[in-house]
Amino acid sequence: MFPALLLVAVFLLAPLGLILRFSLDVYDPSTLMKGVFALDNYVKLLKDDFYTGVLVFTAQIAALSTVICLALGYPVAYFISRSRSEKMRSILIILTVLPLLMGNAVRSAAWMVVMGSNGMINGLLLALGVIDEPIKILYTPTAVVVGLVSVLMPFAIITLQSVLDSIPVSLEEAGRSLGYSPMRTMWAVVMPLSIPGIVAAGAICFCLAMNAYATPVLIGGPSVHMMGPLVFQQISKVGNWPFGSALAWVLMTVTLVMTIVSATYLNRKYF
Amino acid sequence: MRPGRVLYLSYVIAALIFLVAPLVVIIWASFFADKTLSFPPSGYTLHWYARAWDLEEFALGFMISLKVAVCATITSLAIGVPASLAIERFRFPGREPLRHILLAPMYVPAIVAGAAVYLYYIQVEISTGLQLTATFPGLLAAHTLVALPWTMRLVSASLASNGSIAEEAARSLGANAFQTFFYVTLPVIRPGIIAAALFSFIASFTELELSLFLVGPGKTTLPIAIVNYLEWNLDSTIAAVATVQILIIGAALLASDRFVNLGKAF
Repeated sequence: MFPALLLVAVFLLAPLGLILRFSLDVYDPSTLMKGVFALDNYVKLLKDDFYTGVLVFTAQIAALSTVICLALGYPVAYFISRSRSEKMRSILIILTVLPLLMGNAVRSAAWMVVMGSNGMINGLLLALGVIDEPIKILYTPTAVVVGLVSVLMPFAIITLQSVLDSIPVSLEEAGRSLGYSPMRTMWAVVMPLSIPGIVAAGAICFCLAMNAYATPVLIGGPSVHMMGPLVFQQISKVGNWPFGSALAWVLMTVTLVMTIVSATYLNRKYF
Repeated sequence: MRPGRVLYLSYVIAALIFLVAPLVVIIWASFFADKTLSFPPSGYTLHWYARAWDLEEFALGFMISLKVAVCATITSLAIGVPASLAIERFRFPGREPLRHILLAPMYVPAIVAGAAVYLYYIQVEISTGLQLTATFPGLLAAHTLVALPWTMRLVSASLASNGSIAEEAARSLGANAFQTFFYVTLPVIRPGIIAAALFSFIASFTELELSLFLVGPGKTTLPIAIVNYLEWNLDSTIAAVATVQILIIGAALLASDRFVNLGKAF
């Protein structure tokens, strides 16, 4: 146990503590840091319209992707959960998690091939004569949402599926035998019971979307600004460690707070 | 079938196609004969696989990724299995908080963790002269961090579902702690350990965000080589590289399906 604890403490908790300290320092072009305690970085972040804009935009994209993931993923999760054959379940789950486990680099590459200016969608539309020249799909916020939804939907499906598994089918049968339509049974019986799953799935999707790096960089391109790439840029390219550290802490805190607040709100509203 | 049922089924199928289609398309595109990517292709070739292997960044990236993933998996198992055992089998104060701390690498956003570890390595270098950034040990430590939660979750789940009755029986019959572990516990949780190894391997092999900060020029992992290439090019070479990774991960996933309920692995 102690080696594992040591690894996490030395290589994760200590570094997080260190950048919290760095975030309270002030950048100096010649010496990197002045070695003071100040809130300058956080003030700069909140006062500068560019950075607050990026934060708000990231949260909007993340929220939109989360909602789409849940809406698209719920029926799939329900379908998997109610398939009777073990073999079918197993195949469906592999299909679901395969894209997830491909890793961000390969999945982004795949979407670039689909959405690029000489990609599949444009090729198809040109061949069909719908358009005369390639339309711009890649490097737009819409493309980022599509990419994020495809990254996050497997998480939503798997989380929802495990909660739906725990809802007895007999409850649905009871609803049906009392004269509810399948749709009404779904809405009035299954949905309310699965709220904890929806909250958990939504929380995972939102956290991952807020902190996405590969999707905004590769599919969003240079004109789509999101927090993940901004952290990388400030620390690795600009070399402004204090400000980059502050961005990282704000990103982590905002994600955490928004997730906890919305989860508590939803749980309180429905229970 | 009722119209509602048809609608529901087509919705589910459409969602699954949306998930899998990009992977199918990129595998397809890896065989296109055209110099620049174009749909539909004028013919098919295997040339891009040879070219991908000739490009040093991909061949080297593949070897580095393989090496670090294998080492990280072994390290993660070596420290993760005892930790899971301690958490699942012993009662002590602070057990639950400890479990969460050990799973923390999964909850901290990778890009934030990457930034933190990178600046921490530089700080260590400044104060002790020990270089960690752009070195294999530095990268390995970070990848072990990524693999550890997967190992812990799958091994813990396996331990929890098997109970400790057989172990207690072994102990009461006079087996010592080591004998109990190797002759009783280990055989029972072996499927869990194999699944943990496969998922830890996948997590490390595909890791991008943390490594991004930690690799040096000419010594990148495969996912980073892919991202760097994609910034300037989009052709069938990258499709061939992606296809190779898809096949490796797909094989690992099919293998692990025998040992673990994949739906419970997340």
